Amino acid sequence: MSDMGPAKATPPRVGPHRSSGTTDRGLRIRGLRKWYGDTRALDGLDLGAEPGEILGIAGPNGAGKSTLIKILAGESRADSGEIELDGRPWDTTADRDRVAVVHQEPQLFPNLTVAENVMVGREGTRALVRGLDVDERRLMSNLAIDGYADRRVESVPLAIQQRVEIGRALARDAQVFLFDEPNSALTQEESTDLFRQMHQLADAGRVVLLVSHRIAELAAHTDRVALVVDGVCTAVLEGDARSQEGIAAGLVTGQAAREPEEQVVVSVGEEAETALRLAGWTHGGGEFEGIELHVRTGEIVAIVGVEGSGARELVRSIAGFERGSGQIEIGGNAGGSVIAAGTSLVSADRQTSLFTNLSIADNMVSRLSREITTRGGALRRGRMVAIARALRERFQVKAASVHLPIRSLSGGNQQKVAIAAAIVRRPEVLVLEEPTRGVDVGSKREIYGLMRQYARDGHALIIYCTEVPEVFEAADLVYVVSDGRLSDPLIVMNYPDVETLARAVTRLERHSDAPAAALAPA
Amino acid sequence: MAESSTGMPSAPPAATGSAAERWSGRAMAAGVRVGGLLIAILIVIVVFTILSKPNTFLTVTNFLGVTRSMSTIAIVALGLTLVIVVGEIDLSFGYMYGLASIVIGVSWIVWGWPIYLAIPLAFVAAVTLGAINAFLVTVLKIPSFIVTLGTGQLVFGTTLLISNTATLNPAYPPPGKVVPEAEVAWFFGLSNQDLPLGVPMQAIWMVVVAVVIGFILSRSLFGFRLKAIGGNPMAAELARLPIVKYKFAAFIICSLLASLAAMLDFAFIGSVQPNAGVGLLFPVFAAVIIGGASLSGGRGTAIGTLSGALLIAIIANGLALLSAGSYLSNFVSGAVTIAAVVLDRFTQSLRK
Repeated sequence: MSDMGPAKATPPRVGPHRSSGTTDRGLRIRGLRKWYGDTRALDGLDLGAEPGEILGIAGPNGAGKSTLIKILAGESRADSGEIELDGRPWDTTADRDRVAVVHQEPQLFPNLTVAENVMVGREGTRALVRGLDVDERRLMSNLAIDGYADRRVESVPLAIQQRVEIGRALARDAQVFLFDEPNSALTQEESTDLFRQMHQLADAGRVVLLVSHRIAELAAHTDRVALVVDGVCTAVLEGDARSQEGIAAGLVTGQAAREPEEQVVVSVGEEAETALRLAGWTHGGGEFEGIELHVRTGEIVAIVGVEGSGARELVRSIAGFERGSGQIEIGGNAGGSVIAAGTSLVSADRQTSLFTNLSIADNMVSRLSREITTRGGALRRGRMVAIARALRERFQVKAASVHLPIRSLSGGNQQKVAIAAAIVRRPEVLVLEEPTRGVDVGSKREIYGLMRQYARDGHALIIYCTEVPEVFEAADLVYVVSDGRLSDPLIVMNYPDVETLARAVTRLERHSDAPAAALAPA
Repeated sequence: MAESSTGMPSAPPAATGSAAERWSGRAMAAGVRVGGLLIAILIVIVVFTILSKPNTFLTVTNFLGVTRSMSTIAIVALGLTLVIVVGEIDLSFGYMYGLASIVIGVSWIVWGWPIYLAIPLAFVAAVTLGAINAFLVTVLKIPSFIVTLGTGQLVFGTTLLISNTATLNPAYPPPGKVVPEAEVAWFFGLSNQDLPLGVPMQAIWMVVVAVVIGFILSRSLFGFRLKAIGGNPMAAELARLPIVKYKFAAFIICSLLASLAAMLDFAFIGSVQPNAGVGLLFPVFAAVIIGGASLSGGRGTAIGTLSGALLIAIIANGLALLSAGSYLSNFVSGAVTIAAVVLDRFTQSLRK
């Protein structure tokens, strides 16, 4: 494959691409803007990355990282802004092969072999399927995936699948490698291998971007770290600033200080009623074991843990969507049906929490039955609309009409509808997974307010979080799950800022057996 | 936890929404959909009126004949609509139609059962098949396409076995058997009544079924949840909607309506043969799809399906009057079905 771009991608203008001086090398992003409906995802983002470096990209959820990734991957088009690669304007949708995105869930053809995946799309036009050529063999052996060449992708480990993704991109001569939370499901050893490959790619003169939540890894493996907050790049940390502390500090800058009255004083072990009690709670698939948990009415409890720790499964099991055994007691009741009667789950993914074929109103009442029907089973349309309108007011859903399709709402408003639909049945325990994923900052605050209101009304909330700022903003207590075991709770109020809390949580994620007392802030 | 004892958000003053707000969104979309279909029907009527001999196509008698001939397709298609809306598929209804006819015929004419037991036996068979289909789909999680492809053949085999591949007619019972005349009269009366203006009895049955299915789909909690489940099964599971129960109901109703149509046709024609219903697969699916139901689930109306059946029946009737022959008939039916879906895609993109 020629190093020069194909002729069709060259725009009809003379200028910068002729002067290919060293200063023009690399990736330049200027003024990138993207709106989804009335939600701003990117607000004039500027970013530059040099060949040979690993540029880290950090930022809270909903800050625009995933939009940036989608645009660079050619899956989505920016509303305005410029992207240049090696001094030439670069149309990501037309010239996709130059950028490779390595996802946490590799996007390969699971039913084809490793070798077929590496050469897919470049098999040529001959009628017969060709074998691997010399270059492909070499790059596969460099990545140590040649031994898997004839295995089907679905049968090889995740780490190998990611290398196949890298290999496929190398075979297509990609210049930019974007790693999107690549090691969240990998073991320590596999992660180390992956980082070594990232460094190799950078050393070979390619642009490597690493998007990660893990501050320690950003500090250890990148040359510079760009902070993306609210759709703009707020800072690029270099040198000493690129430390764990520096990154954590940069991420929380601009996050409002805690307002004291928002906090509920948690009086451990006192008169508040028990909302949920787990004893010897064990996962059907072995992800967690012997969990003891006690949640009181009025509390918002966050459960965190890295992928594979069992945290997600624990949270889902409380709502009955993962198999759990042991004792469970909700609102003072025990027995087989307490989960179905006393909990509601709002999943992290709005693809699975909303009915996209229904209107806003229909979504809001989708979990109701007797409240919206006559005795004969006929729908009371007027009542449905009245309930939906009341919820629209209470949840501040910005919709001109509750009869509009749910898809017409922004992500934040969709999330409010999803939570409203779960709350309307008034479950004793409301279980939320990543309650503000992909939600803009304004809606985030409103959603946290609604969660707090629901807790104050005499219920308990359990939230699964992947972001410490969310824990800090929303929760009273946080438990860390590590290797299927629950830590002692951290009382969020005792932590003056997100950074300190983040450090405590990170330590618990690593050392499940460390005593919680040692982690208390100074 | 008792749902009724927990507080609902207080209802706002009744008149917060304008009329425009009420008449928007899906209601509008459904209106446009059926409106487009009615225009297509009118065009087809005009074309056939011009092409056919005077006073053959556009007459009251012919129109009433069309309503009778569409009733079989419509009744079966209305049942299928429920299965399609909940996001599944049923390929066995045509064979169920055949089995129901033969169960009635064999138990009544050959075994000598009273008709009043023969008909319930057919419906028991329908409930059984619907339940087997739903069990395999919901409990064993086998795709409904495969399940009903298989059960359809099982049912067809059963039909051939119990009928001994013979045509049955109550006027010619096997030697030594007598079919009471009163029962024959009652049974034939199900589809043959002297109604005002010569309205066919089967058309009345069709309207009754359409009203019931229409109520279910657009006015009942059952239909509301069928749409939710079909629109997003994953979300339905997380919302704890009764997916299994509702799929059982949808498959059973589909089989029951196929049996009802079979019984009415048997009563109208006066005889039955084992391969009856085998040819229903295309026109019934075509009616549902032309009617705007989405094969991916979550969308479908009774009025749409009824209009789809009407269009299919008019085309068949018009081509028959023109003596077009069956080749051309197949050709036109196929083309119209595809054209209807293309038109639907087009009008959907216009609305966006």
